[in-house]
Amino acid sequence: MAQRIVIDPITRIEGHLKIEVEIENGKVKDAWSSGTMARGWEVLLRDRDPRDAPYITGRVCAVCEGVHTVASSQALDHAFDIEVPEAGRLMRNLFCGGLYMHDHYIHFYVLSALDYLDILAVAQYKGSDPGLLAVKDKIVALVKKNDTAPFTPRYEPDEFSVNDPETVTTLVSHYIKAVELKAKSQKMLAILMGIQPNPASIMVGGCTATPTREELLEFRALWEEQVKFVNEVYLPDVVAVGTGPLLPLATAGLGRAHDNYLCYPMFPQDNPTSRADYALGGSNHLIKGGVISGGALNPAQPVDFNRITEAVEHSWYNYPSGVSSLHPSVGVTDFNPRKDGAYSFVKAPRYDGLPMEVGPLARGLVNRYPELMDLIQAGAKPGAVARHFCRAVESKYVGEAGLAWIDRLIELATAGPIVGMREKPVPRRAWGMGAWDAPRGALAHWVEIEDRRIKNYQLVVPSTWNASPRDEKGVRGPYEESLIGAPVPDPDNPINIVRIIRSFDPCLACAVHLIDPETNNIKVFKVS
Amino acid sequence: MDAFALRPPEITRRDFLKIASASLALLGLSQALTPRVAKALEESLGKTAVVWLEGQDCAGCSESFLNNLEPPAASILLDTISLRYHETVMAASGHQAEEARAKAIEEGGYVLVIEGAIPMAEDGLFCTIGGKTFRDIVRETASRAAAIIPVGACATYGGIPRSGPTDAVGFLFRGTQRHHYFDDVAAGKPVINLPTCPLHNERLVAVIVHYLTFGTVPPLDRFHRPLAFYGHNQHENCERRGHFDAGRFLTDWGDPRQQGWCLYLKGCRGPVAYQDCWKRKWNNRTSYCIQANTPCVGCSEPEFYESFSPIYERQIDVELPGVGRVDIDKVMATVGGAVAAGISADLLISRVKGRKNGGKKKGGSRTKVKAEKES
Repeated sequence: MAQRIVIDPITRIEGHLKIEVEIENGKVKDAWSSGTMARGWEVLLRDRDPRDAPYITGRVCAVCEGVHTVASSQALDHAFDIEVPEAGRLMRNLFCGGLYMHDHYIHFYVLSALDYLDILAVAQYKGSDPGLLAVKDKIVALVKKNDTAPFTPRYEPDEFSVNDPETVTTLVSHYIKAVELKAKSQKMLAILMGIQPNPASIMVGGCTATPTREELLEFRALWEEQVKFVNEVYLPDVVAVGTGPLLPLATAGLGRAHDNYLCYPMFPQDNPTSRADYALGGSNHLIKGGVISGGALNPAQPVDFNRITEAVEHSWYNYPSGVSSLHPSVGVTDFNPRKDGAYSFVKAPRYDGLPMEVGPLARGLVNRYPELMDLIQAGAKPGAVARHFCRAVESKYVGEAGLAWIDRLIELATAGPIVGMREKPVPRRAWGMGAWDAPRGALAHWVEIEDRRIKNYQLVVPSTWNASPRDEKGVRGPYEESLIGAPVPDPDNPINIVRIIRSFDPCLACAVHLIDPETNNIKVFKVS
Repeated sequence: MDAFALRPPEITRRDFLKIASASLALLGLSQALTPRVAKALEESLGKTAVVWLEGQDCAGCSESFLNNLEPPAASILLDTISLRYHETVMAASGHQAEEARAKAIEEGGYVLVIEGAIPMAEDGLFCTIGGKTFRDIVRETASRAAAIIPVGACATYGGIPRSGPTDAVGFLFRGTQRHHYFDDVAAGKPVINLPTCPLHNERLVAVIVHYLTFGTVPPLDRFHRPLAFYGHNQHENCERRGHFDAGRFLTDWGDPRQQGWCLYLKGCRGPVAYQDCWKRKWNNRTSYCIQANTPCVGCSEPEFYESFSPIYERQIDVELPGVGRVDIDKVMATVGGAVAAGISADLLISRVKGRKNGGKKKGGSRTKVKAEKES
């Protein structure tokens, strides 16, 4: 007989998420994903000076902070018709690049690892490494003192958990290192951003920071330290665990969703060649955008932003009668937190009517990361393990590419003061769009300006795609679909469910926002 | 595993002395107190429970807290306190997580840290955790706390969410106004507000250490901010003050000749912002907004962000400490010629002050802000 279980809150994510599943014969039969918090960003941006938007949206979520600020700035660059100076583009790239690296390794070590490691195995460590022995002593002491908050209570390890004492203890020591390096990464980024997290210097027209050559040399040294950790610790750990103890989960494709994937281009390596490029920050992107539907290895098609729609059948909003889905730029929503049949503040975005997985796996498949292709060749299927794998691989790409951006900035700073901004007055009437692929996936902002004020501001963010509830046709969202068939032998210990959900790196703060019921202007934005 | 791993391999008496010394420096207290603080920290090991709640938040304050390098966040967080509940860090999920919070409440006497605003509209339905509204969770958890520390602009005064449709408020304040909703559970407990967006990690570390050592809170202003961190004016202490005095205002970020000039005309709220960013800086003393050539947005103030929008527009009418009300339009009308004649902006301001009533406020959302030093 089917049994329902509810996990609320899902912890070690950003934001507030509830997952409900129905279990039959030890497997997930059905699933529901609910975002349980809303703040109303689009409403609060209405009628404001458009230049406020990058600062404000950078505070939608502190985890992808930079990417929101950059996407928002690009939407305004596009609307204001501003070509950002090269130094501004480079500083935006470096900001997002630094964020990519630390965000990914923190997700692996701090937010996810507990789902895969049996921490108590550390007590069995028999080696002689002094650092690892110190970790062991600490844990033994804590257990003896019976004060193990916040690690207990927890879901119990299962047969897939890594329990080799040497491996677990090593990973725990890397975990300590990761936390320290994340603080150093934010220190590095503060050289350009002023404060971290939550940036101050990126806005329409570029980036206001004016780093000196000396500051950039310090930035480079800190960047190299990040790259070293990614290449020599993070990536090898993910490969070792993913192709070792977790290989059974990888080949089983645990956590596979619909096999539809979407990503946007990011890290422009050249200046824009047309006004449409302003929306994408430039041209010749390090990571390309694309759409794959109906099979992980199907060829990627170019993204057409006009094919995005959002449904609210199962979300706490009303649409006008007779309307089942709308393009986000005309995103009308009448908020209704007591609506029958609804179970989430997240809307249901679709591309060509299909749910899309966004994030590292989408980027890996669209861009055919060679390391991912090798893993698939070796028998792995798309799913939770592949997501972790793609994160580590792309951290390496971004880290290495970033060195060239820094060197170019150093060249510019050597020639004269860095100027990363180009200003233009707020246009009386304009619209713009900005897109970037955040660590968690495809992110786009749309802005419409009238009388020099924001008339309509829309965000369609990664976790809206992934955490989407069912749409008007009853089709599940990616989180929900990825849970179907997952083994849950013990309903009191649903560890596979949190493994799958955390592999997406949920970020619910972004996923939920309210849109004012009065903005139902019918107008489709086009990237031109 | 999370916090196990966060834990540095070993913490010694020497480390406690280092932490104590660094914390005293943060608070501006005498280093002579170091042994006392170190002793208190050592004795409190594993004893003081902390419950950290997240409501309408972005996790920025949590992220910021983990950025502490001196003393390391890990030492402070894990070797001096017992973190019973923190959604972003804890191992437990679902009912296990909620049980951990229930158990802490039962035991009582913990420090409660609140991150994120509290939505009051629709009976609190805009944020629910474990089927309860955040509003009820705050009430329940505050009722048995020993001290309450709202962190960041949102939990203190409502922050950016206050401008949205969910009636988002801070623990005691809706902007500058006390709302009294939690007065019954807050009664008799110290409430220490640590605004800015996000929280400045060092300020929280210092307040926790102060509390563990002395069992008291540092002196606060009427918005419940510690005077040690929020008693000084940005503008009075700004490294760009010389440019203000000389009438050199940045008007175009694209012009390299204007680099380093005063950001007043770019909307800088320095004249009404009370904090120590100018001295403490951010991210281990690396930089802060003005150093990155971008204006202070006044995120330390209860008025942020609602009264400070548009961010990059100059303020029409402010009161400067020791100067009085200033109509910057009048200053600007004369500043060109005046600078040529060698008259400083300060002089101009004191002249304008004498005939201030002519300046009519323009633009509905531009707001008159009163700068008032707390005592």
